[in-house]
Amino acid sequence: MGMFSEGVDVVCTPAGQPSALTWAGRQYMVCAEPVRWFERRQWWAEETRAPLGTGPGLVDHEIWRVQVRLAGAKEEQQQNEILTLDLTRNIGSGRWRLLRIHDALKPKSA
Amino acid sequence: MSFTHLHVSTAFSAHYGVSWPDELAQAAAADGATALACTDRDGLYGTVKHLKACMASGLDPVVGVDLAVFDDDGDHRTQLGGRVVVLAHGHNNGAGYRALCRLISDAHARTSGNAGGVVPVAVTRAEIASRSLNPETLEPVLTVLIGPDSDVGRAMGGRRYLRPRTLFKQWLDAMPKETVAAEVVSHLSAPGEPLSTARAVRMLKLAAEHGVPAVLTNAVRYCAEDGAATADVLDSARTLKSLPELTSEPLLQPNGRGWLKTSAQMLELGKEIIQAAGYGAADLGRLLGQTEALADRCRIDPVTDMGWKQPVVPEASVIGIEGDPLVELTQRCEAGISRRFPGISGRPEADMRARLEHELRIIANLGFASYFLTVAEVSRMIIDMGVRAAARGSGASSLVNYLIDISQVNPLQHDLIFERFLSRDRATLPDIDIDVESAERHNVYRRIFDRFGAERVTLMSMQNGYRARGAVRDAGLALGMDDGDIGEIAKQLWRFSARNFREALVEKPELKEFAGRVEQRDFAENQQLDLLVDLTERLDRLPRHISMHPCGVILGDATLLDRTPVQPSGLGLPMSQFDKHDMDPMGMLKLDVLGVRMQSAMAFAVREVVRLHPSKAEVVAAGAHPTGPDGTGPDYIAADGHIDLNAVPLDDEPTYELIRSTHTLGCFQIESPGQRELVGKMAPREFNDLIIDISLFRPGPMKSDMVRPFLEHRHGFAPETYPHPDLKPVLQETHGVTVFHEQILRTFDVMTGCGLAKADEFRRALSNDVLESQVEEFFRREAKAKGYSPDVVDKVWGTLKSFASFGFCKAHGAAFAVPTYQSAWLKAHHPEAFLAGLWEHDPGMYPKRLLVAEARRMGIPILPLDINRSQAEYRVERIASGPEGGKLGIRLSLNGIYGLSGAELKRIVAGQPYDSLADLRARSRLSKPSIKRLAQLGAFDALHRESGGAANRADLVQHLQSLQGRPTKKGAEVIEGQLSLPLGDVELRNLKPELPAPSMVENVRAELDLMAVDVSEHLMSSHRPLLDRLGVTTADKLLGLRNGTEVLVAGVRIATQTPPMRGGRRVVFISIDDGTGCVDSVFFHEAQELAGPLLFGTRLLLIRGNTRRTGPRGISISASMAWDLSRPETLPFPDKQPAAPWEPDLQLRGPLDGISRNLAITGLGS
Repeated sequence: MGMFSEGVDVVCTPAGQPSALTWAGRQYMVCAEPVRWFERRQWWAEETRAPLGTGPGLVDHEIWRVQVRLAGAKEEQQQNEILTLDLTRNIGSGRWRLLRIHDALKPKSA
Repeated sequence: MSFTHLHVSTAFSAHYGVSWPDELAQAAAADGATALACTDRDGLYGTVKHLKACMASGLDPVVGVDLAVFDDDGDHRTQLGGRVVVLAHGHNNGAGYRALCRLISDAHARTSGNAGGVVPVAVTRAEIASRSLNPETLEPVLTVLIGPDSDVGRAMGGRRYLRPRTLFKQWLDAMPKETVAAEVVSHLSAPGEPLSTARAVRMLKLAAEHGVPAVLTNAVRYCAEDGAATADVLDSARTLKSLPELTSEPLLQPNGRGWLKTSAQMLELGKEIIQAAGYGAADLGRLLGQTEALADRCRIDPVTDMGWKQPVVPEASVIGIEGDPLVELTQRCEAGISRRFPGISGRPEADMRARLEHELRIIANLGFASYFLTVAEVSRMIIDMGVRAAARGSGASSLVNYLIDISQVNPLQHDLIFERFLSRDRATLPDIDIDVESAERHNVYRRIFDRFGAERVTLMSMQNGYRARGAVRDAGLALGMDDGDIGEIAKQLWRFSARNFREALVEKPELKEFAGRVEQRDFAENQQLDLLVDLTERLDRLPRHISMHPCGVILGDATLLDRTPVQPSGLGLPMSQFDKHDMDPMGMLKLDVLGVRMQSAMAFAVREVVRLHPSKAEVVAAGAHPTGPDGTGPDYIAADGHIDLNAVPLDDEPTYELIRSTHTLGCFQIESPGQRELVGKMAPREFNDLIIDISLFRPGPMKSDMVRPFLEHRHGFAPETYPHPDLKPVLQETHGVTVFHEQILRTFDVMTGCGLAKADEFRRALSNDVLESQVEEFFRREAKAKGYSPDVVDKVWGTLKSFASFGFCKAHGAAFAVPTYQSAWLKAHHPEAFLAGLWEHDPGMYPKRLLVAEARRMGIPILPLDINRSQAEYRVERIASGPEGGKLGIRLSLNGIYGLSGAELKRIVAGQPYDSLADLRARSRLSKPSIKRLAQLGAFDALHRESGGAANRADLVQHLQSLQGRPTKKGAEVIEGQLSLPLGDVELRNLKPELPAPSMVENVRAELDLMAVDVSEHLMSSHRPLLDRLGVTTADKLLGLRNGTEVLVAGVRIATQTPPMRGGRRVVFISIDDGTGCVDSVFFHEAQELAGPLLFGTRLLLIRGNTRRTGPRGISISASMAWDLSRPETLPFPDKQPAAPWEPDLQLRGPLDGISRNLAITGLGS
């Protein structure tokens, strides 16, 4: 598993779930129901200020685990090319970043 | 549809909750909620505030608690099996609330009440089960929420898949029907983690499987998302671990989703959980419906369930009366008349009776007769214990209180207004405060518990919130900063609220260095310091813990413990979880029983007088009391010599003479430098003068320059003026200056005819901006209608407006003036006993050594420590022989010697007298350092002299020192019944005289070092040659000098004050003691600049300044320059030559050299 923090462009459904994304110039489609959770940040190490009224997003960030495949690829080619990615959306700015790439499809037991 | 939060911690969940009850209630109401729960951890600490907030926001309160539960399978005393929320059912005439109170008291019953006790606050499941049914109807009155932090929820993270179900079934088996619900919570944490949706789903399914209702909550800790970071810091403070340590454990909240979510957000969350469970819309409806159903069941009616604002006092039978309390009260007042007003008749009697009827009518209307009888009962009980007690505060305004012996002040004599204390328009129980001897306070508490029964009494608690220092420490801990660094920063924070930390960094000079470090962008620590400031501000004011209130005792009827949960206090007596703000809302009668050291000192003095002079005739002679027409002395002295201080007439001339002399050190309220100056200027002649003096000496009047016009009018330097002749009767006693609240009330009444009750309401309203304008409108309209001219109305309104906020209640002043007078009376007539009482109980503002110096100044011999004569307390002793033979002296106490333990002290006194050191060692088993210290202080000198040995104190100390190294020989065992031969002290007799005797300076140094008191002589005495050479004037000579004379004065610092001043410029008052008395000096701006660091940094001061006459007997120094006496090279010798090294007398190796106990000696810590 690799750790990244790379900007990605994400297209969401009206309900706010990621449905497609552009990463390193290539288009990917989300091909399974994504899983979403909120994860704590080490804000005391990552931030320089934490005044009252900072608002949302100081203590945690939103994580989406998505399974994607290259857009336009044919069915038979796809099975081997499904990627599991963890994306994070900054609660303040709404910008998406790629956080982790999982080597194989190993969804956490829910 | 609105959503009701059933699991909410407020800030009163110490070190856990973040938001205040009113923030939460406002947020819930704004979102359209109709009810809101408060479920603080371990108690109902925030409940009454929650009720108030809910009522203000139009919500129904829900009341509950978040409690730890003992693990049924573990060690019952210490092992916990998780936490549950317990909610009280409402609208059942308090059955639910009662059960909740009792359950919480159960949870605390086994704890010690001290921090760090081994037994946690927790209940057993059996206790919850037994409390959850109404014992009378067997209806369920509590509901337990089994949620994510319960044993069930916690087991979901374990490997044993069936474990949660087993545990859940255990709950269902243990609890009565309809008292359990499953609490479904998701903070949307990572799948499978605590507070994840997956776990919420499992809880939901467990509930469905067993047919138990499930409710949705958000386990709220903060009002909005922003509070999550504060919650992290609180977790760190609670667990005493830094945030990095906590994440690695992991003990922090998994994320920051525990806020008071809106109904829409909760609906969304519910949908997500239902969807994850694979359920449908009907199930979502059921989950939310069950949540609201439980909420409805738990809506509390503040009035019928919790007794909101309904005063409850002990049952009549408990205070020993049958029938109507009002009849009883009236009878007791009647009985009091002949005692308090013997022989009253005619007009005074008619006035007094009219007043009594007026008061009784108001008391009857309010139904407070039992309240007065209760307080009278407590008061009588305290007096019967032989403990001095005095009512203070506005209670002194009541004639009823005077007649039934609650108060010692005659309100008619001092024109005190009942309405200031109680009126028809004030439906809350009034405050009556009782001052008792500080040393007896805990005994008084215990006696109250015994007298009324433990079910009717509990101590009140107080909330202790974060202030700047504690906040910065805990913020630093959270960030994992170095303890030493944090300590350094914390030390600089003084007297400002943590909320303004960042502002203070800019403004306060003492924070300059720290501010620089925050600014310094390239330091690695800078980020931490910036965060430190932010987190400190976040913690500001949040409650940290409750503790016993210093004086509040709650009295109720047999249902008291159904109305407040209690927990052990450090004292061992139970303490309510409610604080003073909760008393009125909960209808609780609170008595303030305040320990006052001066009362102990005076009681001590009276006992010493009886001990020394065990008959009336002897006391009359010793105290030079008037013998009266029949020659037997006054009635206030009993046949056995006991003085009834409260019966001493308030017109004793020698007492006022003493006060006017300004030698008032040790006297209650009038010993400070400022008060000595004021009494000097005012020259009090009668008791009313003392009341005025005490009322004037407040920050408000001092700051707004009321004192000067008052004094000018009093002494006739300026004519008195009144805004209108109608006001003359109101303001005459203070020469036209408005000083008392009572005068404000009367002014309102005279000019508007509003009545005194209304007038007191107006006075209260004056401190509120909104209400003030309404009062002003009324005042102007009515005064105009009564024909007062516009300029009179303007002028009087200006006075009312500015004085109402800080004027003083005359009843307070009168109540305070009683101990002031009594202490001055004792000092005037029985100074030795009085000073012994002061030394024993140390009530004043000065270091004790100043009161020892005062004895010396008054010519009272100070008798040295003596192993056979000194006791565990100071004693007045008649000197048998010598130059001072026949005089009374004060023998030093063995108490308060550095290093001597309480147990050693007890053993010494139990074994007295001793005939030798060996005898002392054998029977008192003193440690060697203690014996050595006693020797240094001369405690064996008498023994030594009797032994006939030729050696001195230094030889003895050296001898004892050398013994210390050797192994202890087993002492000769004294066999019971065998008398040791009276050999005298062989050890002392055989001691070789080798060393020179210690000098006076060395002896005094030892005394200062070990007792913080200079006994053998005044510590300035050894500096006399130096002072003479400098041409210093002593304190006793100052009064003979003309105003404005330039002088040099010198002495040891005894008081340093920087009171707030008009105009905002700092003025520093420094008082020094030179052995002949005190010199009070004032440093204005320029002198402060010149004196610089000497202002606060030195113990021995030389001050140049000009005399400033403050009154017929008062004089002070306006300083122009100061020097440090311990640096002779800097001193202004008249011959311009510094002291030559060969003049050893002029060197300042005084008794203070090498002694670091600054605070105890000079009153200024460093």
